Amino acid sequence: MKRVTLLAQVDPNICTGCKICEKVCPVYAIHVTDKKAKVTEDECRGCANCADRCPFHTITMVKREKPFTIGVDASKYDRDKINEICMKAHFNPEQVLCYCVGVRAEEVAAAILAGAKTPHEISSMTGIRTGCTIECIQTILRMLTAAGIELKPDPNGWQWYGQTVTAWTMPEDVKTKYNSRGFYFDEDRELLEEIARTGESN
Amino acid sequence: MANNNIKRPVIMPIAPKPSQYGIDPALVKKRVAELPGMCSLKLADLFPELPPVLYPGGPDALDKLYETAKEELRKVDMSFIKADQSVNILASHHGFTLLGGQPYAILIKATRDVIEEKTGCKNIRLRAGVGMRFRETEEYIKRYELDKYFGPGKTKGVAPVDEGIPIETEVGTLYGIKAVYDADWIIHCHHTDVREVHFHRQIDKAVKPFGMSYARIETRSTYHQNLGPRAANFTARAIFESKFVQSKFAFASFLNVGPHGVIGVDADNDLYAVNDRATFIGCQLYGKIMTLFGEIDDCIAVLDFPCPVPYVFSAGVIYANFTGANTDLYDMESPLPPYTWYTEAFYKKNGKPILENIPPLNPAIKMCVHNYAWTGYPSAFFSDHIPTVVVGQQQADLFDMEPMNIEYMSHAVVAKTTESAMEFAYKTTGTDKVIIFDGAMGGLNCSETLADLLIERAPAVSERVEKELLPKWLRQRGVDVTILEKLK
Repeated sequence: MKRVTLLAQVDPNICTGCKICEKVCPVYAIHVTDKKAKVTEDECRGCANCADRCPFHTITMVKREKPFTIGVDASKYDRDKINEICMKAHFNPEQVLCYCVGVRAEEVAAAILAGAKTPHEISSMTGIRTGCTIECIQTILRMLTAAGIELKPDPNGWQWYGQTVTAWTMPEDVKTKYNSRGFYFDEDRELLEEIARTGESN
Repeated sequence: MANNNIKRPVIMPIAPKPSQYGIDPALVKKRVAELPGMCSLKLADLFPELPPVLYPGGPDALDKLYETAKEELRKVDMSFIKADQSVNILASHHGFTLLGGQPYAILIKATRDVIEEKTGCKNIRLRAGVGMRFRETEEYIKRYELDKYFGPGKTKGVAPVDEGIPIETEVGTLYGIKAVYDADWIIHCHHTDVREVHFHRQIDKAVKPFGMSYARIETRSTYHQNLGPRAANFTARAIFESKFVQSKFAFASFLNVGPHGVIGVDADNDLYAVNDRATFIGCQLYGKIMTLFGEIDDCIAVLDFPCPVPYVFSAGVIYANFTGANTDLYDMESPLPPYTWYTEAFYKKNGKPILENIPPLNPAIKMCVHNYAWTGYPSAFFSDHIPTVVVGQQQADLFDMEPMNIEYMSHAVVAKTTESAMEFAYKTTGTDKVIIFDGAMGGLNCSETLADLLIERAPAVSERVEKELLPKWLRQRGVDVTILEKLK
């Protein structure tokens, strides 16, 4: 859940239509037409990626005149199904997935049950990955995969490229090779599993 | 009885800096170090065995550092770099927050100059990565005039949402930032400052930027979400070990930094050799002051430095690490520090940790007075768990306008002035011990009462680290103690 208080605002006099803003927007709220970027105000979640990556400092973040709240109420969805997706992704349903916005695994699962099929739809519905936009992308990809949804990165964008290694897919030979250097691969996997297991009975 | 002779007048804090991430420096009317009852301690007085520093020093200290850096860099093999090739010097934002930023900028300049001197190469560029403040290194490049030094079009601040490049590794595909690798050779220009011990646990610290400031979001998320708190930094090693990165890696150029200043420059074609030496510095030199901070039983923590909340410094220790000083962050037997993102994730909706044995944030911190610190890092966890007073409505408004900190002020209160914030903290906590995270170089600023405690405990802490903790920490990291010889 997120209170959306900010909005990206483009200065058309400076914009060159380079399209970098389009490629870094996690919710596809900004598009270039006729060589000028335009923000779809209702869709902007106020992350500031466009403003911070514009090479020409064309975009500024302003306070919304009418802030609004987005979010998916997990209590309105089948608890067993929520738990099933979370467990399959190795998350405790109450675990925080997004450190900036505070979105928990159960809300992401609920968004998927509500029809979200892509990372940007999940971000748009819950606010996840609209703070730093960095650290929680893998959690979203893991949740979608756990729900059986095929991941299709945008060949024209830089929003995300692909899913990566987890504690559960780390090759055994790699663990053996590097264990002595202070990496606690198996112990950490057990910790993550214990965290997830604690949520099973909820 | 504490030795009062080593209490000194306060050290001038690092000055506020203009940045889109902080309030206008003109709004910082008072530094907490200026208030009555404060003093400073030099780290060399607390721990006389610390090695001498090149910086801070006399007026020519930076010139001497430049010459020292060139001397060390001349010893590195650069014969494979041809005059008509391209070289990217890779830098990270952290370095510019150390000791005013100039020493790291000097190292970058020296690295550039020696490459040109030894190879005749002219196409030398700077790629400076960031954490979460995508414009931060753009600001540093201008502030330290690196754009002028490298020449037009040769410098670039890069961010994890920029165009990526897939990198095949032993653990599958990971992703780097394309602009980082768009040269024939890369030079890893970094430092030994420990900073986020809660994240990297001093495991492969020297390698970390390959999985962080040089990496795309997918890789960074792997680090912070997929592997666990003590396996996370393997992400960096996986990328560094890849054929792609090895085919471009030329050498490492490191500022050897201790909690008290710059102690030297370490340049080597073998990053793992640098890494072992950096591990020793991180554990031995920083380990002592971190362990000493763990002796503090109650205090008011003051944030007063041009950096995001968790990264403000006192004696080389960042606030985020002080919030975990109730545990031994170097001990690999403890899976979760009181603060790290994995820990933060493991708090339930009712505010309680998912597992009972998750340690709380340092209970010695009775209140946090946020006199001056930047946005640009998700910090609401701190204000949610530690009573926090923010000085000035403009600073509070800045946090309310920042996507990563929309909830920071939901848990903090605002005081009009520095003086009123401190008065409030003294009255409500009942303690007069104050630790100030203001980046004072060579030591720390604190209240006289806290100084007494630190002076009294330092000798025993030093002995415990040397005899008991350091051997354990190094053993846990597979580090050969004979590397100490090269450091001597």
